[in-house]
Amino acid sequence: MARNFPPERIRNFSIIAHIDHGKSTLADRFLEIGGAVDPRKKMEQMLDSMDLERERGITIKAAAVALVVQVDGQDYLLNLIDTPGHVDFSYEVEKSLQACEGALLLIDAAQGIQAQTVANAHLALNQDMTVIPVFNKVDLPHARPEEIAEELENVLLLDPSQALRCSAKTGEGVREVVRAVVERIPPPKGDPSAPLRALVFDAKHDEYRGVIVYLRVVDGAIRKGDHVRMLGVEREYEVEEVGKFTPKMAAHERLGVGEVGYMIANIKRLGDVHVGDTLTSAKGARAEPLKGYREPQSMVWCGIYPVNASDFEHLRTALEELKLNDSSLVYEPETSDALGFGFRCGFLGLLHMEIAQERLERESEIDIVQTAPTVPYEVLLNNGKARMIHAPGDLPDGSLYSEIREPVVATHLLLPIDSIGAVMKLCSERRGVFQKQEHLSPTRVMLTWDLPLSEIIFDFYDKLKSSTRGYGTMDYDLPRFQAADLVKLRILVAGEEADALSIICHRDFADRRGRAILKKLQKEIPRHQFEIALQAAVGGKIIARESIRALAKNVTAKCYGGDITRKRKLLEKQKEGKKRMKSLGRVEVPQKAFLAVLSTEE
Amino acid sequence: MRASQRLRLAAAAAPAEMLREDGRSLYVHLPFCTSKCRYCDFNSYAWSGQSLERHVRAVLAEARARAAGLRPQTVFIGGGTPSFLPAPLLGELLQQLDEVTGFRASASEVTMEANPESFDDARAAAAAAGGVNRVSIGVQSLRAPVLRAYDRVHSAETALAALRRARALFARVNADLIYAFPGQDPQEWQEDLESVLALGVDHVSCYELSFEPGTALTRMRDAGRFRAEEPERGRALFERTRALCARHGFGQYEVSNYARAGAACRHNLAYWRSLDYVGIGAGAASWLDGERRKNLELPEAYEQAVRAGKDPVAEAERTDPATTLFDALMMGLRLPAEGVLLERARRISGLDPAAACGATLDELIGEGLLELTPGPARRLRATDSGLPFLDSILTRLLAVLRP
Repeated sequence: MARNFPPERIRNFSIIAHIDHGKSTLADRFLEIGGAVDPRKKMEQMLDSMDLERERGITIKAAAVALVVQVDGQDYLLNLIDTPGHVDFSYEVEKSLQACEGALLLIDAAQGIQAQTVANAHLALNQDMTVIPVFNKVDLPHARPEEIAEELENVLLLDPSQALRCSAKTGEGVREVVRAVVERIPPPKGDPSAPLRALVFDAKHDEYRGVIVYLRVVDGAIRKGDHVRMLGVEREYEVEEVGKFTPKMAAHERLGVGEVGYMIANIKRLGDVHVGDTLTSAKGARAEPLKGYREPQSMVWCGIYPVNASDFEHLRTALEELKLNDSSLVYEPETSDALGFGFRCGFLGLLHMEIAQERLERESEIDIVQTAPTVPYEVLLNNGKARMIHAPGDLPDGSLYSEIREPVVATHLLLPIDSIGAVMKLCSERRGVFQKQEHLSPTRVMLTWDLPLSEIIFDFYDKLKSSTRGYGTMDYDLPRFQAADLVKLRILVAGEEADALSIICHRDFADRRGRAILKKLQKEIPRHQFEIALQAAVGGKIIARESIRALAKNVTAKCYGGDITRKRKLLEKQKEGKKRMKSLGRVEVPQKAFLAVLSTEE
Repeated sequence: MRASQRLRLAAAAAPAEMLREDGRSLYVHLPFCTSKCRYCDFNSYAWSGQSLERHVRAVLAEARARAAGLRPQTVFIGGGTPSFLPAPLLGELLQQLDEVTGFRASASEVTMEANPESFDDARAAAAAAGGVNRVSIGVQSLRAPVLRAYDRVHSAETALAALRRARALFARVNADLIYAFPGQDPQEWQEDLESVLALGVDHVSCYELSFEPGTALTRMRDAGRFRAEEPERGRALFERTRALCARHGFGQYEVSNYARAGAACRHNLAYWRSLDYVGIGAGAASWLDGERRKNLELPEAYEQAVRAGKDPVAEAERTDPATTLFDALMMGLRLPAEGVLLERARRISGLDPAAACGATLDELIGEGLLELTPGPARRLRATDSGLPFLDSILTRLLAVLRP
């Protein structure tokens, strides 16, 4: 594929879908048709390149691939840009879409429109791009394309007569989808003679080649040896190589208007490249940046501590390595009275946090203690300045600020009509504000609620699933900050404040949350030789108290027969258990207790 | 000094002089029982018809290999149920054991364990004739529902009869009892204990019911079919037992063991003082010249090894100084009156206990859990308030000695 295609024979597109609606399988079909994959070597869902992605069936990082297809005797270059499928990565999705002129909105013909379908479709429609609805899995016996056509019209206001039907699994109808990409999606527009402007829509770290920048050329062209500048981060590089993904990286002379590919330019750290940034020529007049660039925002924070204090430096190294592949991870050193030295880590969302943690444990083999996740809060100080805080312990004294703002998200909940009552109740219990209700079909409905993000990050999704017998799905838009009557709920163990256990919560919920946390701690902290007082306080006022009774007796009753080794081994086990605990003053607290604040039990 | 403390000291004092520090003890394990009790995690098996003669032959063969000319200062024949052996076989075992080890001339105490259902006149006589001078009867409870719950195969009456029979033939008799059965009325426990004391035993072992890994009772508890008693009630019964025994002149010389003056079990004292002992039989443990070892547990595997002329050892460990010291503390601190003689602990481990335990020892003493006796032969012991928390104390010492 060494030849260059003029813009009119290039099509840049994405496939967007809810999880498991068949995006990767359809991408595989495209790769086969485009000749990019040797069928004998074909690996299921080959675009998902990380183990974790394959295990979880989700796409975390965007990927891109160039294909050549023939329609009516004419060759076309299709650049398929894969997008992450989860709300945590919606900024990445937005940037990937920005590199395209069109998108296939893939919908499972049996399951119908789901929350991520809506969220992704909104992102695409907002970009003013061509959206082609495709009903997948039409070969399934319980496929119901007619009803889904209705959902499409009701919820997304898309013309169902434009929808295609296919089965990515059997290959049925896939050729028609390819034809629609060529016929309906417009070719890229751009000025070949203008100075270079290219969109950075992704980047990844390669052990041998440094950072590989994924880009889409908007104007001009980029060649090996060019001196380029990233406008957002203000850095300049000399281009070592440009090329395309076939899907393996293949070097090319140049990338011209509308083309999608990669650049290698001796960039060491992934953090030096920002998704959404504009790449221009380092020489000549300064070009206008492409729209929509912003810094990624961490919406979920938690403390991560080594179980053994001596592992602190190892943990730092492990986080550095993780960041090489995940530039949206942020971390800063933090100390806690109970947990010692660790890091406060910021994530794009809950899923991002889970993935990062799993990778951290899998790749570093360090035992870690994680504190309960929290959202960031914006505190309006008396001096008029606003300050972002990422840990409840950072909240200044109540006399120093006038307002706390929390992230609130517009949440779309798609569910069977008979579970509306239960979900409405759940949302209102979580301080939600109802926005609207739309009928997808006679049996399914979409609710939109504004919900504080802090209420979503603990067990909301589980509760939604159980209130809808597993059929409910949810997604949410980017957060905005909104003032709320929030207080710091402090937890005292044996009279000592346990900083790692304090939370920020709504004043009206403080009593209930406080009691639930203490109940949970009562279960998790083992008895000591003295009674342990547990207290929850707001400001100076104690709002709940519990106690852990003193240990009654701890002595092996029967110890004869001379088998001393066995007895010692039992004590050895007790000792190891104790070692893994963290001390709050005289009280030893097991790691699990630090997640007690997630408890909602009454 | 409180009355209970005086008693504790009196109970410990007499046999202390009768145990030599360089002496050795002999333990013989006989693993078979009529049935396996639900709480039991010992190396014992419900007999399923295998040859008892063959097993005794294996035990004696091991004794010839490992205890010839041992001349033990104490002997303990335990199990399992030694009284499960028919009288003639029991007699033969004792006689040949004496031929091999010379225990009748050397041992001041020869104990045999017995269960009520099998301790008949013939076996009692065979034991006495063979040199046994102390018997320990597994009574456990005098309440029919409790005995049933434990899956014991005897009644309260049989147990009391066995104790009377033992008293008639042996100067020294112990009764094993278990308390803290869920919902147990403290008054009933007191009555049971008093009935046993009234029969003239000179020693009682009172164990709190515990749930050991792998026992039937533990499985029942985990499945929700058996409730464990509240820890507070277990503690209250422990205190009641201490007080009641003290009133009857029985000193608490070990966590669960109470004896009249001079009647403490010397063989067990040898364990608690870290003196040497040789264990013979399936699963038996030994501590000899700085090495701990344990035999193969399964009777068949044990017999096979011995028949093949091999040492039936399953594991052996030469303990390092810190472990030796810890073991000495772990065993010695169970003796609330005599505790651990620091000079001896230093001698066997090569470590100075106070230096090795560092600040943790000072903390434990500061918290009133341990104390040092005054005078030249310094002893470290658990206080009245420390004894019920001995495992917590030992865990802390272990963290210093074996970090």
